[in-house]
Order: sequence, then C-alpha cells, then structure tokens
Amino acid sequence: MTEFEPKIVSFLCNWCSYGAADLAGVGRMEYPSNIRVIRIPCTGRMSPKFFLSALSEGADAVWVSG
Amino acid sequence: MNIELKTLCEIRDIRGEAGNFQVEIVQNPRYIDESKCIACGACAEKCPKKVKDPYNMGLSQRKSVYVEYAQAVPLKYAIDANTCIYLQKKKCGACKKICPTGAVDFDQKPETVMLNVGSVILSPGFAPFNPEKFDNYQYAKYPNVVTSLEFERILSASGPTMGHVSRISDHQSPKKIAWFQCVGSRDMNKCDHSYCSSVCCMYAIKEAVIAKEHEGDSLDCAIFFMDMRTHGKEFERFYDSARNKHGIRFIRSRVHTITQIPETDDLEVRYITEAGDLKTEVFNMIVLSIGMETSPEVVSLAKRLGIALTPGNFCETSSFEPVSTSRAGVYVSGSFQGPKDIPQAVIDSSAAASACGEILSAARNTLTKVPEIVPETDIAGERPRIGVFVCRCGINIAGVVDVPSVAEYAKTLPFVEFTSDNLYSCSQDNQDSITQLIKEKNLNRIVVAACTPKTHEPLFQETLISAGLNKYLFEMANIRNHDSWVHKSTPELATQKAKDLVRSAVAKVALTQPLKEAELQVNQTALVIGGGISGMAAAGSLARQGYHTHIVEKSAQLGGQALNLFQTAKGERIQEKLSELIASVAQNSRIQVHLNTTLGQVNGFVGNFKTTLSTTGSEQVVEHGIAVIATGASPHVPTEYDYGKDRRIITSLELDKKLMEKDESLKSLAAAVFIQCVGSREPERLYCSRVCCTHSIDNALELKEKNPDMNVYILYRDIRTYGEREYLYKKAREKGVIFIRYSLDNKPQVVRNNGKLVVKVTDHILGRPMELETELITLATAIIPNRDEKLASFFKVPLNADGFFVERHAKLGPSEFATDGVFLCGTAHYPKPIDESIVQGKAAASRAVTLLARENIHTSGTIAEVVPTVCSSCGVCVSICPYSAPSFIEATARFNPGKAQINPVLCKGCGLCVASCRSGAIRLKGFDNDQIFAQIFALNEAV
Repeated sequence: MTEFEPKIVSFLCNWCSYGAADLAGVGRMEYPSNIRVIRIPCTGRMSPKFFLSALSEGADAVWVSG
Repeated sequence: MNIELKTLCEIRDIRGEAGNFQVEIVQNPRYIDESKCIACGACAEKCPKKVKDPYNMGLSQRKSVYVEYAQAVPLKYAIDANTCIYLQKKKCGACKKICPTGAVDFDQKPETVMLNVGSVILSPGFAPFNPEKFDNYQYAKYPNVVTSLEFERILSASGPTMGHVSRISDHQSPKKIAWFQCVGSRDMNKCDHSYCSSVCCMYAIKEAVIAKEHEGDSLDCAIFFMDMRTHGKEFERFYDSARNKHGIRFIRSRVHTITQIPETDDLEVRYITEAGDLKTEVFNMIVLSIGMETSPEVVSLAKRLGIALTPGNFCETSSFEPVSTSRAGVYVSGSFQGPKDIPQAVIDSSAAASACGEILSAARNTLTKVPEIVPETDIAGERPRIGVFVCRCGINIAGVVDVPSVAEYAKTLPFVEFTSDNLYSCSQDNQDSITQLIKEKNLNRIVVAACTPKTHEPLFQETLISAGLNKYLFEMANIRNHDSWVHKSTPELATQKAKDLVRSAVAKVALTQPLKEAELQVNQTALVIGGGISGMAAAGSLARQGYHTHIVEKSAQLGGQALNLFQTAKGERIQEKLSELIASVAQNSRIQVHLNTTLGQVNGFVGNFKTTLSTTGSEQVVEHGIAVIATGASPHVPTEYDYGKDRRIITSLELDKKLMEKDESLKSLAAAVFIQCVGSREPERLYCSRVCCTHSIDNALELKEKNPDMNVYILYRDIRTYGEREYLYKKAREKGVIFIRYSLDNKPQVVRNNGKLVVKVTDHILGRPMELETELITLATAIIPNRDEKLASFFKVPLNADGFFVERHAKLGPSEFATDGVFLCGTAHYPKPIDESIVQGKAAASRAVTLLARENIHTSGTIAEVVPTVCSSCGVCVSICPYSAPSFIEATARFNPGKAQINPVLCKGCGLCVASCRSGAIRLKGFDNDQIFAQIFALNEAV
C-alpha cells in the first residue's frame, strides 16, 4: 500500500504569503510538493464557497494564508 | 522609470549650489553586469569561497559572489573583491564559466561619474555601536553574549537559525534571556555617546515578546534598563502588555559584572536591585541593546561636503527647518539627522523630498520619462487564443522540471494555440519574440510559466501592451519560486506540479476579459485643515511647490498650540520663529487662509473633493484634490494635585506663559517642583505624551538660570529625553536639578497647609517619604487628542482607542490615510514636539504632491464592481471596506437608487466586499468567482 499523500489547495494572499512562498524559493527551502497555490488579492477575497469547492473537487486540505 | 539607482557608490565631492550641483561619484565595480544578471543564483551555487555573511551579522556563511538578501533591490549579484579567489589570486573563475548570460566581468574598474542635480538628500543611515571594547559586557569573550542586531537575525525566519531561538555556543534553546539597555548610549565613561539612541527600549521589548512567541511562555525574558523610553505611538500600550500579558520582567538596574560559568557557558550577572541589594542571577544568553552612531566614513563625508554636525556627530538642523543641513540645497533624512525609529525616518524622507520639490518646482516634469502609448486591439467576442510560454530560466527551472514536456502538455489544454519553451523568457530578445508571436498567431491571452508575478508580471504586461493587447489578458504560472527551487529532490513531482500550475493558469486566463483603467483628473488645489504649526508647514510646502492651498482654522488666528510655547529643546525662541512662519503664510499668494472657519460638509473623493466651509454664518464651497488633516490636539486640564485651587499650582503651558512674559516673580522662588506624567501613562490614557520630559527639564534649567540657588525638583516616572535631548537631562543634573522617581501606585501628594505648599513623595534611592516645600508646582500635563469624529466621518478616516487619527501604516505610511487623497500631520497623529510637527507637515505635503503632480490618476483594472440588480442594499460592503470605496447611490437617483456602488478610484481590489456580499452582487474583476472556480476545477486532476 502506498503511503497517503495529502492533496492541498492553498489560497495565498498576494501581498504576504504569496511573497513568502517566493522567498522560500529564493532561499531554496525544500518542502513537499503536495500544495497547489492559487493567488488571491487578499485573504479578504476568500469565500466559503472556495473551500467547499476545493474539498468537493478532491482536496484533502485547504490552506488559506494571509 | 524615473529613479536611477546607482549602487556601490561613494560621493567624492559636491560642487556648485542649490539648483545646480555637480556631484562627483566613484562607482565601485560589482564585477557583474547589472544589465545581464538575471539573479538566477548559479554563480553563488558554484562559487567555492565561503565567507561570513554580514547580513546575518556573521552568524552564517555566504559565498564570495552574493546577493545581500533575498529582497535586495536591485536583485543583482555582486562579487566581494576582498574574498574572491579570482580577484585575489587570478585563479578559479567558476562563476564566469557557469553564468548563463555572461554577466560576470572581472575587468570592471572603479569609475568616476559626474551627476548634475538640483538638490541632494543625505540619508547615509547609522552604524550599530560595536560593544567589543566594553570589557564589562564581555561581548568579545563570551559567545552567548550577542548584540541586539544579531538577535534580530536569530529571530528572523530568513536568518541563520530560521527563526528558532538558539544560542551561539551550543545551539541550545535558551530558557532565560537578559537584555541590557543603553549599550553605547547615555554613557560618558566608555564610549562618549551621551545621547539616547531612541529606539532600543522599544526594540528590546519587541525582541523579548517575539522570542516568547517563538519559544513559548516558559522562556524567561528580563530587560535591565535605566529609564523605559516607549514614547512612540502605541508603544506604551505595547510596554504594558509585555509586562502584564507576556510576563516580561523589567529590572531597573545597570549590570556591572558578567561571568561565564565554565561547564555550561551560562552567564552569571551581578546587579544592584532598586532596594539596594546585590543580586546574582544566571542567564543562558545575554542580548546587548546596542545604540546607533554615525560611522567615521559619514563623518568624513560631512566634512568634505561642508555639512555641520552636532556634538553627537549627527547632521545639524534647526527645529524650524528640520531637514535642511547647513548647506543650502542639501537635505537630510533618517538617522543621520538623529537617532530615530522607522516611522520618524519615513516622515523625514518624505519631508526631505518635499524640501527638494520646493526649490525645484519650476523644473518639475522637465526630465520625466513617460511610456509610449500603443493602441489597443479590440478582442471583444473573440474566442480565446492562448499562447503559453514556458521558461527554462537557464537551469533554474529546466534543471529540475522537464520544461519541454510541460510545454508539450500545455498544447493539449483548451484554447491553447501556441506553446514554446524559452531559455530566458524575461530577456529582451524573447520579449520581442513574444510581441511578434502575439501578432503573427493572433494570440489574445498569454500565460508565462516562469518565476513569480510579484517581480515579473509588470515586465510581461509591458510586452502585451507593446503588442497592442490589454495587459490584463495575462497570467503567470510560478514554476520556479514555488516549484523547481523548492522541490529539487523530486523532479518528477515538480514536473507534475508545473503542469498543474500551467493548467490552472490557462483555465483562469481563458475567462479573463480586457479591463479598463479609468482616468481621473486631479483638482490641483489643496485643503489643509488646521492652522497650527504643522498645518502651516504643510500649506507652505504645497504652495512653494506650486499648488493653490486653503488653510481652514477654527480660531481667529494662525499658530495653534505653538502660540503657548516658550522655547524648543535646542533653545530657539518659538514666538519669533512662529511669527516669521505666520508672516510667510500670510504673504504667500498661493495660500488662502480661512479663519474662524469650520467644515460644514465634505463630498467627493481623491482628486475631486467639494468641501463646504462655514465662516461665522456664511458658507463657501471649495473644490480641492487632496486634504491634509492637521487639527492638532489640546492640553489636558488636570483634576489632580489640587490644580485650580491654588495659583501656585500651574501647568507647563502656564509656566511657559510666565517665562514669555518675563515674570519677575520666578526669580525669587526658593523652590520649584515639576510633576511629570500628569494625565499620561495612566490606565485610562495609556500613551506617553512624548514632549513633557524635555519640556519640564528645559523649563527647570530656565529657572536655574534665573536663580541658581533655587531648589528645583522634577518628580518623574521615566525620563524620556530621547535622542540628543538627553544632553538637556545631563545638563540639568549638572546644574543641580534634583530628579526623584515615583511610581504610578505611589504618586506624589500636594498638601496645602497655612499657606505653605508641600509635595510629599517617596524618594526612590532612600526609599523614604520626603516633604518638599515649594512655591511653585508645575504639572506636565498630557496632550489630549481632539477625537474629532465628525471630521473622521467626513473624510472616512479612522480614530484609534485614544482618539488620535490612524495613519495608513504605523511604520511605512505615517503621514497619510488608507483613504486616498487624505493626509495627516502634527499632533492629530500623535503628540510630538515642534521639529517633528514641522517635518510631518512637510511630509504630508510631499505625499500629497505625489498625487497632485500626476494631474491625472489611473484606477487599477482589478477592482470590484456591483451588479445593482442583485444588490439588496444591506450595506455590509459600505461598512466593511477599509478604503471607503463602496457607498449607497442616493435614494433620489434615477437609476438604481439605494443600491451600493463602488468608487473605482478608491477601490484597491482586495475583494473583502466581494467575499462579504450576502447577495453575491459584487464581482472582482481579474479575480472573479468563475476564474477562481476555474482554477480550483483545473486542479481537480491534480488533487
């Protein structure tokens, strides 16, 4: 049996967390490739429908950061 | 586009005069051609030479070829000639071999550059004090004694320990940390810096709070200090919560001995408690709160340029011209003007820019570059034709991600007409080829899979514009920063992720529509509310930069609270200078003063305000493009210490009045007592009024001057003579002014008995109650905000818990509001002395000019829009928006009465209203629901 690999959809604020993820790259900080980033203009944009939609589309987790 | 950045430069000389300077600059070699470097980092990866990283205070290593830190501007590598093997020994050259763009150039030589400029701003900053020479702190000897700047890096997520608090000797997490204040400040014995560095108290508290946040509550933090100087906005509240909420210990003592315990590398400190007992305590780590100083290089630069310095080697300025150096046309900003924190430095820089603008306004826009305008192709009704460009970024992406297979995969996606992979998508020749392909293949949507839109989106959008495509028909897939750089060891998974990100971007861009950026004319008139010193400074600066300015003053004369003040900390007589300032305002033909006037109504928004002014019964409407709020603050009228019951008990302003009137009775006083913090730093008013310590000490010295035999007492909680104001405190002690500290729970008491006036206070050294017989008690009363809710609602700007206006950003936007077109200065922002009020007045003018000078402003395309037929007029958007963009359409309007509308000029496109709208009536253009859902659905295959 293969090990469980979570599938994570992340919504990152353009001004902070998206930039932080960029800097993690500049710093070559390795992390697992399980997340897929959707850039949003501000976490204020985040709607409950986005969570539900991501989960119903098969995501194991939704991560909002901002 | 209009800022040319010249790095690695030293100024040799400045010749000429204001308006026409010749600046001789030596530009030192970077050994990397800036125009070719794409900051891919291949050079640093290959470079074999490791050196201590100065950015991390030597706590980690970097290579000889380096970029100083991840966010460096310009983001270009440089070679450190002192350590580079090739430049030292003509061997190696690995970076030159690996560089994919041929940017490494070992033959660069220092070049002399001449610049012709109209004015100069000096902002060379400060050097951190080096505590190595202090043997009592053992910084050089014990590894676990670090400086506050080293600790900053230890706390930083991008620092040597990735934010994990650990000590140097054994990388263990400390359980107890001590901070020592005033290292290299307020010290005459060792370092000769008798000034206060202003910032260390606050940063030590901040470091202690963050350390506890990182390491948990069990971490014990103790701060050893002399006076706690939290005189900035919201700082006292932070100090209070550090003490009471975070449990940080504050110990009023100067430590005299540190010894290292051999086995553990722990540090034993010995100090005298307030009660006078000798105490020994062991800490795992000690942080020295080092102060600021002007570096020797800057001192010699100042000498070369003929710039006068203060006794502390800071740039000499006057209180009324706080950014002007001793040389006309040369201005100063930041910590070279005096030790200061970020907001104050930001205010300075804006003010210095304003000062330059004042002398150069005649030449405004004569050298400004403007982009060329290419007509836009109408793509309405066209089926999406998407071009996908996948970037290799040399080996940065292609070394991990299988780029050709990503490009191949993109071809299979709906609406994709063309794909290619490029070595460097951002190179000029590739931009030209994208432009060509857009035209050739008739592409109407573009996806670039490369690095991050944060740095490269504007560049590619320019390419779209030059191809005649609306710049919003563009999307980036971040397959470098978010993929190849962070998933190096799993190339297959990285390739899969790249495909997913491209698919998501394609799905989004297919739904993107061209967006319009509305243009709006900016009315070239300014309105300044408040005719006090900062309002006049703002108006004067605006007028000298060519803008017609109205000053609205509610009283019958200009001058505000400055009319009640005697002299500045630098000894300048305020009334003389104030009269000059009032005269210059009155004589300026561009300034229109409205006395006895209040605001009746404010309509409109940035660029187009309409304000009704009410002047004793008559009304007048003024149209203006921007507004500056400079409404000041008021003196607190005390109810304690028997104020108002005895004419010998007065406030600081009343003493100033006596001094201005040359009251002879002051000379014959046998004793005078000052009581500090009257109404400030109390639970119901948890802020420091900033000016009172300096004010009282200055007046105490004045009394001592009049009568050296007078017994003058200052009863205080912490003396906060920040910066070079500290000299006054020192001088007062030398002249025999007696300072007695009291605590909030044991305040002094005023007793009047048979005509005698006595102050009872517990002496902090003797610990015994004392009775001071006096003939004058001066209460250093708080500065009280006006809490002007009407004005706040007129301009849709917020007030804080104390009643001061809240600026856009506490550090980076201190002189403006989040609401566009409205600016802030003076004591309406926070209590401050005259020099800081003037500097902020100029700063507010400077920020306003950045809008006025554009004449037309463009809104962003990615903004919110209401669909009125769906809107239920609930008002959530109106109340929730931080920028005051939504409002209700008037009930009498012909179309959509009562529905919400969003002002495109004020909207910042955050989407808060969109997510909050209960009816789903608001769309966010560029981040519309269907676009984000398309992205989520496109990830379906991935998840």
